[in-house]
Amino acid sequence: MAKTVDQYFDDLQQTRVWRSIFRSGTGSSTLKRALAIQQNVFLHLFSTKVRTRMLSFSATWYLGTLTLGTFLILVATGIPLMLYYHPSVPQAYADTKDLQFVVSSGMFLRNLHRWSAHAMVFLVFAHMFKVFYRGAYRTPREFNWVIGVVLLLITLLLSYTGYLLPWDQLAYWAITVGSNIASAVPLVGEKIHFLLLGGNAVNANALLRFYVLHCMILPLAAIFFVAIHFWRIRKDGGLYSHASEPATLRAASKDAAAATEAQ
Amino acid sequence: MTDSKDFIAGVDSNAKKSPRRIVFITRRTSAQVKAETEDQLQTFPEVLLRAAVAIMTLAVVLIWIALLFNAPLEGLADPSHTPNPAKAPWYFLGLQELLHYFPPVVAGVLIPGLVVMALIVIPYFKVNIEAEGLFQKDREKRLQIFYSVAGGLSLFLLLFKSRLYNAVLGIKGEAEPLYAALVPTLIISGLMILASKSSPQSPSPFRRYLAGRPLSFWVMTWFLFELVVLTAIGTFFRGPGWAWVWPWQGS
Amino acid sequence: MKEKLRSLWQKLFGDSMRAFGVVSLVFLASMAIAPAKNFFSEWRHYQHGYLSMIRNRSEANTLRRHFQGGIQQIWLPDLGVVDRCTSCHVGLKEPTLTDVAQQPYRKHPVIPHNLDQFGCTVCHRGQGAATTVAEAHSSTLAWEQPILPAKFVESSCGQCHRGSLPGTPQLNLGRNLLSRSGCVHCHAVKLPDGSTVKATDDPPSLSHIGDKTTRQWIYAWLKDPQAYAVTATMPNFKLSDADARDISAFLIANSAPVAGDSVTLSAKPSNDPTAGASLYGESFCASCHAVQNAAGNVVGGDVGPELTRIGSKVKPEWLQAWVRNPRVYDPPTGMPHYRFNDAQVATLTGFLLAKTDSDLLANVHLDAATPEQIAHGKRLVSDYGCASCHEIAGIKKPENFAPELSRIGSKPITQLIFLQGMQHTLPDYIAGKIKQPRAFAPGLKMPQYTFTPAQIDALTTALLSLNDRSYSLPPSLAVSAPPESDYQPAGKAGKLMTDLACFSCHRINGHGGDMAPDLTWEGSSVQREWLVQFFRNPGTLRPALIRRMPKFNLTDGEINELTDYIMTVYQSPSVDRDSMPVSGYAQGQIELGKQLYYGKYSCQGCHIVDTKTDKGYIGPTLTHVGSRLTAAWIYQWMKNPEALRPGTIEPNRAMSDEDARALTAFLISQKGGGQQEAAKK
Repeated sequence: MAKTVDQYFDDLQQTRVWRSIFRSGTGSSTLKRALAIQQNVFLHLFSTKVRTRMLSFSATWYLGTLTLGTFLILVATGIPLMLYYHPSVPQAYADTKDLQFVVSSGMFLRNLHRWSAHAMVFLVFAHMFKVFYRGAYRTPREFNWVIGVVLLLITLLLSYTGYLLPWDQLAYWAITVGSNIASAVPLVGEKIHFLLLGGNAVNANALLRFYVLHCMILPLAAIFFVAIHFWRIRKDGGLYSHASEPATLRAASKDAAAATEAQ
Repeated sequence: MTDSKDFIAGVDSNAKKSPRRIVFITRRTSAQVKAETEDQLQTFPEVLLRAAVAIMTLAVVLIWIALLFNAPLEGLADPSHTPNPAKAPWYFLGLQELLHYFPPVVAGVLIPGLVVMALIVIPYFKVNIEAEGLFQKDREKRLQIFYSVAGGLSLFLLLFKSRLYNAVLGIKGEAEPLYAALVPTLIISGLMILASKSSPQSPSPFRRYLAGRPLSFWVMTWFLFELVVLTAIGTFFRGPGWAWVWPWQGS
Repeated sequence: MKEKLRSLWQKLFGDSMRAFGVVSLVFLASMAIAPAKNFFSEWRHYQHGYLSMIRNRSEANTLRRHFQGGIQQIWLPDLGVVDRCTSCHVGLKEPTLTDVAQQPYRKHPVIPHNLDQFGCTVCHRGQGAATTVAEAHSSTLAWEQPILPAKFVESSCGQCHRGSLPGTPQLNLGRNLLSRSGCVHCHAVKLPDGSTVKATDDPPSLSHIGDKTTRQWIYAWLKDPQAYAVTATMPNFKLSDADARDISAFLIANSAPVAGDSVTLSAKPSNDPTAGASLYGESFCASCHAVQNAAGNVVGGDVGPELTRIGSKVKPEWLQAWVRNPRVYDPPTGMPHYRFNDAQVATLTGFLLAKTDSDLLANVHLDAATPEQIAHGKRLVSDYGCASCHEIAGIKKPENFAPELSRIGSKPITQLIFLQGMQHTLPDYIAGKIKQPRAFAPGLKMPQYTFTPAQIDALTTALLSLNDRSYSLPPSLAVSAPPESDYQPAGKAGKLMTDLACFSCHRINGHGGDMAPDLTWEGSSVQREWLVQFFRNPGTLRPALIRRMPKFNLTDGEINELTDYIMTVYQSPSVDRDSMPVSGYAQGQIELGKQLYYGKYSCQGCHIVDTKTDKGYIGPTLTHVGSRLTAAWIYQWMKNPEALRPGTIEPNRAMSDEDARALTAFLISQKGGGQQEAAKK
């Protein structure tokens, strides 16, 4: 009776099996906590420490984290949706109808997937502008900003490819309008258009192509670049803090220079 | 925070003459150089908990949206029946709005291409690093450049596809002036003029703020403003034949 | 208060761990609620409602045993049907639930089809896949075609059934109107089997109209055809005075005279109304032509034009020539060539010319036409597509003058422009277009018809049946209409039959009208002597009918020609005319037949053999049947009437050979003698 839940948990963490999986061991020392981050394949992308100031809501509005959140929701809802979906014409539309009317909670899954997708596009844009206005793209974070731009494009493509999958009028014509823009590229426009759609018009080939892009290629690319994105945050000195802003430094040095001259 | 400089770069940096030099700092100050003494928190568990809270809050919001609002689904795709208007996803409606004015090569390829290029180039773009109020230095010259660029852009947006433009070039058809893009341009220009007339010592905090904004801020804000306005117009104000419709006039 | 809130906030979100715990709980709770969306779906609500409804019924146990919970669907890949309607309409197939007032639980009315073979949406439209009331029934973004209003549901029968059905009077009427009202002259209507709907009206040629009538009449007619004849097929083009003036000028100027269009008679047109009326009646003009009586009712047939005001229209010389032989002016006309003598022509012409209406032309004052007016009239004739219906010398029949209507029943609502205050549904649009075609946009050319609301509904029904589904349904489901052949009899007799316009009323080998009996197998069915007598003096076989075959005043030679041809050519392969004698049956057999007639088969319900006792007016009178029909025909008819005349209302009584033979013996003994004997007594 003396044992609390915490103690049971501690005991569990001492077992050989636990230790074989999580190497960091128990304890709440700084070392152990740092190890918990470093020795986890996912968490090691993050810094072991973060400036307290940067955790305030106003610093980042948590936009990056929220974007990751939408991505996780999209993966979690996207996989069950794939179970009910055939990327063929016109079965795709019938499947969407079935999701809407027959599949248990199918409507909810689809709603959540779609609204999260819109939220993700919005959050990615918001994240980008927030980072810009904070100046967090500056040296040495230039490359991470570029990766961010790549992730923005991937997000747009993910949303765009997913837009076609229900194969309804909304999807069909949105993609038709969008893909026609590709034809406007000088010289190779028609070729790009053909490559994108697998034909000269949005048809069954385009649906299959978009399905593969949406469910395989783009998510993998997104995961790849997100990993680099996170890892670079750590490598580039953690979350950007205003204190290291060159302007501040320069202003300080100017003040000092002025002081020297005055002497 | 100790912001008093621990190091000043000597202009005379001959190693033989001044052997005491330890480090050479260029104007491109690197962040790592700055010693940090800030408070820090362990990522595990504090940051992870906060991230989890943020993500779950978002999830709760989205779950309730998903419970209350159904995702749209229209009729089976039918290549022979074009809906009017055929709209792209909302985040492309700014582009589609531009397509209404410019030829596809410009609106569909050139402008988005330039935007992406500009976004990539931003961190490598020297002006941003200065992070100094636009009109604090070289005021006269910069004002000249600003007036000519803003004036030229506004004039272009005012005249392009206007009745006058059509008359001069002998183009038949409806005039479709680009006022939607003109309004944000004028507002930003106005703010910039205000900024040029403000000093960092101004008693008004707003004017102090404006005075301290660098060029990159103005360009990005203009872009954001245009993006929001064009997207909103494409989403809410465009009806059949891409004609102007008030949202409450919806069919 | 503020303090309290702050302490609450501290308690819940004071540190990260607490916040994490609280948010996790909210998150998990939300996740747990999510399936509720599924649980509260409408179909569950209706199934619960059904179960509580049947609880109070006497047959509750049976109903509960039939009940299957969960989403139900009728899936027919061939028809493209996924109908989940039965998830809510639970009692559709329960025979005891006909009295349920509360929908969606009532039993479906009896129809000739099995629900499981056709589903619901094939007939009712709506979105079969949907499981919510609004999505399934209404027009939504996802589904344009809402439930078809019940009054148009017959249109769905027409998707497969191309011919007329006894159960679809509205559709039949609509299809009839579609071809009879001239719609298909301008609007092409292709059917899924590749054929096109043909017009059955016969708009007159205008190439010689100057022979027939005056420019004043044309003007008045163009301004308002129904003012001349309420039954006029020609719609009102709402022409301005100047346009009507110019078109009439052009038509008169364009008209070329036909030789023989004015005859001088040995007798003058007489003004003897009694003789005229009796000749008009004897000739059964009213079988085809109608006249509006004093009470305003239109009495007579609708095959030929209404004659109420004919005297204000035609030129007397033309009318004489026409009555004498209509084929001179219009060779393919449906009007028979009566062999009237000069006196009869004079009587009839005089009678008809007296039918005038002084108001009709009272206000028509036309100056002589100028060349500009004529040229303008010609342009108008092209613009309004007059040549789509009428033959006009020098003007080509326009191709695709009006939009094709082959799939009008599936027209997307987004492509329609509705009038203010109009319901945004396809049936409303179609009905509105028929009702007031010019209201939809300025400059539309479709003329104004004078359909009654019932006719508009019928036409809408017929048009709604022309839809995509009628094309996408498996061809095996199509029930084609009896084919309309272009059969023409050959030889001298053939020429005679054309001259007499037999096909205006009779149908032979799939060609011709349906006013009079089908004559395809007439040679097997009637006796020669009777036919000869009938041609000399046609009488009616059916007492309930006022229409009768007119007397054509044929010569004996002509009658022989016709009779020989009919007896030789129009023979049924299944009836050998000479296999049974027309007399000499044993009295016992006749008596047995009589008993069967009045007893077992109760033929007197529809037919009359004895005019004193029998009251059957549905079928033909049989008092003289023994001298009219052949015994072999009667026998085969007893055995299987449908085989001899498809679509006949005579029931198949599945008679044994003995019964059929006895009845034949009885009927063949009915030679009209009994009646005479009775009269003597």
